[in-house]
Amino acid sequence: MNLETKLSILAEAAKYDASCASSGTTKRDSRSGGIGSTTGAGICHSYTPDGRCVSLLKILLTNFCVYDCLYCINRSSSDVRRARFTPDEVVNLTLDFYRRNYIEGLFLSSGIIRNPDYTMEQVAKVARTLRQDHGFRGYIHLKTIPEASAELIAEAGRWADRISINVELPTQADLQKLAPEKNLSRIRLAMGSIRERIDQAKAERQESRKAPVFAPGGQSTQMIVGATTASDRTILDQASSLYQTHRLRRVYYSAFSPIPDASRSLPLVAPPLVREHRLYQADWLLRFYGFQVEELTTETDTNLDLERDPKLSWALRHPQIFPVDINRGPRELLLRIPGLGVRNVDRILQIRRWQKVRLADLTRLRVPLKKALPFIETADHFPKVVGESRPDRQLELFNPENPRV
Amino acid sequence: MRCLRITPSFEGWQQEARQALGRGWTPDEVVWEESGEPGLPIFSPPDAGSEALPTFRVPRAFLALAGNVACHRNPQRWAHLYRALWRLTRGEPHLLNIAVDRDVHQLLTMDKSVRRDLHKMRAFVRFRTVERDGETWYVAWFEPEHHIVEKNAPFFVNRFAAMRWSILTPDRCAHWDQETLTFTEGVPRSAAPTEDSLETLWLTYYRNIFNPARIKVAAMTGEMPKKYWKNLPEAAAIPAMLNEAPQRVAEMLQKSATKVSPPPIPPTEP
Repeated sequence: MNLETKLSILAEAAKYDASCASSGTTKRDSRSGGIGSTTGAGICHSYTPDGRCVSLLKILLTNFCVYDCLYCINRSSSDVRRARFTPDEVVNLTLDFYRRNYIEGLFLSSGIIRNPDYTMEQVAKVARTLRQDHGFRGYIHLKTIPEASAELIAEAGRWADRISINVELPTQADLQKLAPEKNLSRIRLAMGSIRERIDQAKAERQESRKAPVFAPGGQSTQMIVGATTASDRTILDQASSLYQTHRLRRVYYSAFSPIPDASRSLPLVAPPLVREHRLYQADWLLRFYGFQVEELTTETDTNLDLERDPKLSWALRHPQIFPVDINRGPRELLLRIPGLGVRNVDRILQIRRWQKVRLADLTRLRVPLKKALPFIETADHFPKVVGESRPDRQLELFNPENPRV
Repeated sequence: MRCLRITPSFEGWQQEARQALGRGWTPDEVVWEESGEPGLPIFSPPDAGSEALPTFRVPRAFLALAGNVACHRNPQRWAHLYRALWRLTRGEPHLLNIAVDRDVHQLLTMDKSVRRDLHKMRAFVRFRTVERDGETWYVAWFEPEHHIVEKNAPFFVNRFAAMRWSILTPDRCAHWDQETLTFTEGVPRSAAPTEDSLETLWLTYYRNIFNPARIKVAAMTGEMPKKYWKNLPEAAAIPAMLNEAPQRVAEMLQKSATKVSPPPIPPTEP
C-alpha cells in the first residue's frame, strides 16, 4: 500500500477527534539547531468546509484495533479498510509538512494493536525520533492509552506538549453499552496520575531550568455527544469534575456523526450540531464567566436550550437580577449580561474609571445591542421597568427578538 | 501647515514625531508625507540633528500599538498616531485605557487589522521547494494586506532557521540563507514557483480530515476568507469536497442501515 493511500485511510480514521489545538505550551525556537518553534499561541494553518481548523497533522499510527467501541469507525468489528504507518513514515510526513508550513506539528493517536503497551511504545517512538533525532521543536500531541504502563506514559509526556485520554462518554453506564473495554474509573485514575506528573514537572522546572518537561501544554479529553441519551447536565457535570479534579486544559465535545459502517446500536441520525455548540458555550461559561454547572440547566430541563445560548437562557430565568448598571455593576455581574464577553467586560471596567459609558460606546465595542439592551442600564439607557406581578410580560420583554424592546 | 516627510516606518515616524512634539506643533498643523521605501535610509531633512531630539514618556503599550499601526496600509496612520501621542503627553496619560475614545478606537482598529494580517501570514504562507545551485530553497508567495513582511520575518527565522527560504510578496521580499535575513523589493507573482511534489499528499490529508457529515462553510470562510484561496493549494479542492459531501453521507447511512449489527440500546437515561 502506498503512502498516499495510507494517509487517506489514517487521516479519515483520525478526524473524529475534535482537538487540533497547538496552544499553551512553552516557547521554543530553532535558532540553536533543529527545526520548528512554538510561541504559546496556536496557529490554524487551514480550515476545512466542516468549519474545523487544521493546525496539526492529525493521524492514526494504525487503525487496526482490538477494541470494539461501537461509536468508533476503527472498532474491531467494522469492515473499514485498514492501514498502518511505520514510525519513520510518520516522522518524515510530519517534517515534510512542517517545512512547507502546512502544520504546527503532529497529533498522533492509534488503534490498539497487540496490547496497550506495545501500541504506546510505537506512538512514543515517533515522538522520541522527532525530538531526539531531528531536533523537532514544533508541537506534539499524543493520545495516550489509560491501560499502558506508567513508564510509557511518562515517556510520552516527556516528548509531547500535550497528552490526552478520551473519556468518550460521560458515564460508566454509557461506556459499558458502547465501549465495553473502556472503564471510566481507570481513565480517571490515569488522568490523575498524569496531573501529578505535570504538577511535579512544573515544580521541578521552577527550581531548575534543566529539569525535564512533562506535557507543558497540559492534558485534554473528548466526549461524544448524542450517541447515548445522556443529558447535557450529565455531560457538563462530568466536564466540570474533570476540570476541577484533573485540571484539564480542555474538554472537547464532539457531536456524534454518522460514520462509515456504523454499528446498529447507534442512532442513525446525528444530533443537531447546535447542541455541540451550546455545550462549548456552556463550557466557556464554566471556565471564564464564573458559572456553576448547576446554573446552566434546571432540575426539570436537564438539556441546554437549542434556541437560545446558555447565558441568555440563564438571564431569562433570573429577571430579578436585571437590568445591570454598566457603570456600577461589579465584574461578576457584568459577565452575566447576555452579549457581553470577557474582553469587553474588562474594557468597560477600564473605561468607566474615566468616563460614563453610553450606548454609542457599546456600539463601538461591537456589543450586540439588540441582545444586551433589555438587560442593561447605561448613562443614556434605562430599560422599561416591568411590574413584578407580570412575569409573562416580563419574559416577552426580555425576548431579544421582540421588536418593541 | 507644516509638512513632515518621513520614511514610512515606525522609526521614521518616531524621529519626526519627537521633533514636532518638542516644538509644540499641534496635530492639526502638521501634515505627514511619505517618501522612499520602508526600511531604506533617507537623507535627513536639513535642520535635523541641529538640536538634540527631546524624549517623552509614553506608556509601554503605546510603543507596541504604534509598532503595529505603522505597518497599516492607511496613509493616515501617521496623523492618527501623532494625535494620540499628542494627547498622551499633554495631560491624558491614561488615554489608551479608553478603548471607545475616537482616536484610540481608530488606532485599535488598525492594530487589530495588522495583527490579524501577521497571524494569517504565519498561517497561510506555503513553501514550495526549488533547487538552486545544488541547494534546496523553500520559496513562498504571499499577498499581505499591510506592510508586515519585515515585522513578521523573525517569526519565520525562528521557526525555519535550518532552512534556506524566501517569502515573496508584491511589496517586499524576505530571504534567509541559514545565517542572514535580507529584504529586497517586491516582485510579481510569476517569480514564485507554482508547484511542489508534496502538495498531492497535503491535499490527500486535507480531503480526508474533512467530515462530510458536518458542513459549516461560514465558519471556514470566516477564518479563511476567499481572498487567500488563490494562494492556498488545498483551497482548489473545496468545491469538489462540498459537492460530494451529501452523496458521501448518504452512502455512509445506507451502508449502516443495511448492516446486521447488535440490537439497539434501550433509550433509558442512566
